[in-house]
Formats: sequence, C-alpha cells, structure tokens
Amino acid sequence: MTTTAQTITIGNVLRADIRGFVVASRIPEPEVPTFGTFVSAPVQQGRTEVIGLVYNISLQDDPFLRNLAVTVTPGDPRSEEIIKDQRENRVIPVEIAVVSVGYRLNETSAYVYGFPPQPPMVLNSITVCDEDAIRSITASPDFLRTLLDNRDVPTDELIPAALLRAAQLRPEARRDFLLSAGRYLARYLGRDPIRLERILARIDQE
Amino acid sequence: MLHIERIREEIITLGHRAAQDRQTRRQALVLAQVWLDEAVEAGQLRAHLAPLLAAADRAATGAGALRWHGGIPCSPGKINRQRPTEDIPLTDLVLIGVDGSQIYPDRHALILYYLLQVGALIFRYDGNTPTVHAREWLRYDEADLYDDQGYLIGGETLGMERMVKEIEVLADLVEQERRSTANPVFALSDGPLLWPYVERGNRAGTHFTAYLGALGKVQKAGGIPVGYVDRPGGRPLLELLWAGRLAPEELVARIEENPLKMLSDDELMLEVLAPGAWTPWYTRATATNRRHAGDGQEIWFCYANLGTQHSPAIARIEVPAWAAGQDVAMTALQAALSHQGEALDGYPYVLARAHEEALVTTQDKTMLEQAIQRELFSAGILAQPSNKARQKLLLGRK
Repeated sequence: MTTTAQTITIGNVLRADIRGFVVASRIPEPEVPTFGTFVSAPVQQGRTEVIGLVYNISLQDDPFLRNLAVTVTPGDPRSEEIIKDQRENRVIPVEIAVVSVGYRLNETSAYVYGFPPQPPMVLNSITVCDEDAIRSITASPDFLRTLLDNRDVPTDELIPAALLRAAQLRPEARRDFLLSAGRYLARYLGRDPIRLERILARIDQE
Repeated sequence: MLHIERIREEIITLGHRAAQDRQTRRQALVLAQVWLDEAVEAGQLRAHLAPLLAAADRAATGAGALRWHGGIPCSPGKINRQRPTEDIPLTDLVLIGVDGSQIYPDRHALILYYLLQVGALIFRYDGNTPTVHAREWLRYDEADLYDDQGYLIGGETLGMERMVKEIEVLADLVEQERRSTANPVFALSDGPLLWPYVERGNRAGTHFTAYLGALGKVQKAGGIPVGYVDRPGGRPLLELLWAGRLAPEELVARIEENPLKMLSDDELMLEVLAPGAWTPWYTRATATNRRHAGDGQEIWFCYANLGTQHSPAIARIEVPAWAAGQDVAMTALQAALSHQGEALDGYPYVLARAHEEALVTTQDKTMLEQAIQRELFSAGILAQPSNKARQKLLLGRK
C-alpha cells in the first residue's frame, strides 16, 4: 500500500453497489482507517470519484486464529513469539465497509451529493481523502442527506463522527460549521426529535 | 454420478466389518500392552534379534527373501520406559520449521511446467518476532519434466525433489542462524527424515545422494535435523514386540506371523504414552537406513505424545544417530516441541506456519498461469488448455 503526505491507499474494492462498498485490506494496524473516515474510489473509468464514509471495520479470522485464540495468553512469555508472529507476519485480512455520500466530477471538480452513477469496480484502489477534499465535500451539509435516509448503517453514530472530523479541519469556524449542520439536521429530522436529540447529544459530548 | 443404491449391500457389510475389526483390534491392543510391559531389557533384545538381523542382511545382498522392518532398541534399559518433558527454560535455542508444496506438471494445462515452493519459520525463543522465509523453483525444461523413458514425471519424483529442497533450505537457514547464535539450532521438517523412496532409476539415486548431502550440510552448519511425522503409520515397535516373544530357533521362520499385524505403533502409543513423554530410541536395519549410515546419517526414531490427557497427539520423531546421543540437545528439543504443541492441539506451531508459507493455493496457481499466459501471448503464442481440461473445468462448476 502506498502512502503520500496526505493520502493513503488502504486496499481494493471487494464488492460494491450504488449505496456503498467493501474494501479488503492487509495494511498494518496503525494505518487502518477509523470509523467515520472519508474515503474515495474511482468510478466511470476515473471520470468520477465516489466519496464515502467508513462505517464498519471487521477483522477476518481463520482456523489458525480460532485455535490459537483459546491456547495463547497475551502477556505470557510462552506465547510472546507466537502472538508477535500472528500480528506482524500474518497480516490478518481486514474488511472495511463504506457508505456512499456523494461523488466528485473530476472534469469540473464539483461535488454532487447523493448516490454515484456507478459503484466502483472490484479491485479498484480506495484512498483516504486528504484534508482539502474533506473540507470541500463537507462545505455543504447536504453531504448528510444520504446518511439520514439510510437505515442499514449506524448513521446516528456516523453523522456525529463525520461532522466532528470535518469541524476539526476548521479551527477558526468550528462553532459556525457545527451550528449550520445542527440547523440542517433540525430541519431534516423535524418529525423525529428523539433521533435528532441523540445525534446532537453525541456531537455535544466531544 | 454415483448410484449409491447399487452398492447398498456393500455399505452395510462394510459397517458390520468395521464393528468386528474394532473388537479384534481392542483385544490386540491389550495383548500389545502386556508384551510391552513384559519385554526384556534393550541389550538382551538386541542380542536376541541377532539371527534375524543376519538373515535380513543376507536378504539385502540378494541371498535370501526375509524383509524385516522392526525397530531395534538403541537406548539402554527397558523399552517401555518413558522420558517426561523436563521443565527447562526455553531461551537458548532456535527452532526452524520447514515444509513444501508443489504444482504438479499437467499435460492438459496450457503449458508444461511444475513448481516447488518451500516455506520456513525461524522461531528463536528470544522474545522477538519469528522470521518467515520462502523459496520457489519453476521448472519447464524437458530434461526436468520427463524421466529416462520419456514419461512425464509423477508425484513421486516431485516428492523426492521437494524433500531435497526442504533440507537444502534448512541447511542454508541453519548456516545463516549460526552466524548470530551459538545456541542449538534444530532444523525441523514435516515428514520422515529417513528417505522414504525406493531407489528406482538414475533420478531417484541422484535425489537420494543430494538428500544425504543436504543432511550433511545441516550437520556441518551446526544444526540438528529433525523429522516430525504426525499420526505415524507403520509398526516397527509391534514387530519388535513379536520378535521378542519368539524363541531364537523360531525367530526367522515365524517372524511374519505377527498377531498384532492389524495395529500400528501409534495406536499402542495412544494407550500408553503419557502427555509430553518420549519413548526410548530405536533404529531400523533397512537398506535405506544402511545407505544413510554409510554417509554418517543413520536415522533413529522415537515416539512422542505432544498432546494432553484428553487429546493425545502421537508423533514419530526422527533424528540422525549422532544427534540422538546428545542428551542435553534432545532434552531441549523435547521441551521445545512440547511448547510448540501447546498452541495447536499437539502439532508444532513452526510446522503449521511453515506449511502456510509454503502453500501454493488455487488462487496462486491461477495467478501464475495468467502471468505465464501473458508472457506467451507477448511472445506470439496463444496457449490454451486441452479440451479435456476445459470440459473438466465446466463440469467442476456443477
């Protein structure tokens, strides 16, 4: 996997549809993206970039690990080399699930909020968005729209995580950014005050 | 398609036969335990076997027909003695596990080739991450692919080359380790150390010579080669027990009437060998082992239980005679193998990982063949698998 100053390629698309995609990765633990990370993948032969948010990370097991899980003890010197071998030499496959929030038209650099015209093709590389890209995507709270309509992923946790990540990149305008997003959520969730309160309370905790 | 209804009677008979066999085996096992406990001391047994070994010697030189594959006790004392694992600190030793895998040559494939891959794990018992190692050989020359009669080489020839490569890789890794440690280095391979192939044709002889040379290299590099045979077949110990029951005058005449023939040594060991324990050492007076001995690499073996009370795991441990006599090193090896077995239900961790590193998966094979196909295409050759291979692929998808 390649790393640049701002972007990291984390893996390749394993399966995908319009609403999201799953990435298979073998990157070491420190580079595994966290919940709410913005990522992008090329679609339409590179004419468009689908933008998504990481909403699940699962470690795959295998018969080897299942056996070891009951026989080795972390901290026991007799298990030390085995645990290190498993963690460092046998890189366990990680599956990273991403939900689509919009896409970027590469010709005009404009962002469109909603589902992309095509899912990314299998084995396309997925990249973590750089800070400029995150600022541009989140310039309008409309990036939240597909999330608010999506009941298949834990959006009540994902929306606060994404908003806080975007707010962090705006130290001067953090409060205004969150207020604007809060107003958008209030309008959208006017008929669901309990859900609204849950999301806002989660933002307020940070 | 299999018409199971047509072989229903045979399936029923098979079930009845299995139940009868079980009862017979149970009785034989009880008898074997009694014979093991009553067996005389190793020195007396060796003296008792002398006429039998002399007859086997004559047969080896073509002057007789007797083939005896029984074990000959090498350690002093009673043969039912067990050596428990000593509680020693596992700090000053290196264990290298090696295993191999292959892609067989297939005359229906798009091009004739075969591949060998050897994987290894170096486990240093120093608190650091073990090191993985893999090496591969792609063969496509006609001289490698066909035997002296012009037939495509088979699994046995490939198995011989693989076994040679495994020990050669071990020799290289031992030499490499020896540069940075003065501790014992055990070179563990998954399978017997005693060459298991019958010498047939030039190629077999060449491989055997290369194998003995590689064992010598491990020794010269300061390593101890160890063969690990999981769930071993064979009955050298049961043959010895039977020979021990025969009077000297009937030894040669009745040696093939062993009433314990339906059993194997590991079945007896499952009953008697305590967790962590090793049996005394034995050797075999076979033609192959004589050839080993000629190169200073006679193979001795013992049985070990790397499992627990509830889940025993019997293995045959094979080492050269020069190593079996090193008590301190063997005590360390026993402790290390017990530790290795703890993590994976009695199977050494280093061998499981070496297997994983060596394994050529179906996916690997597909990728290799795609790469070969691309190269052929760029050389202007459009290679295709045979019609039979294509049909099999289609039927296999059902």
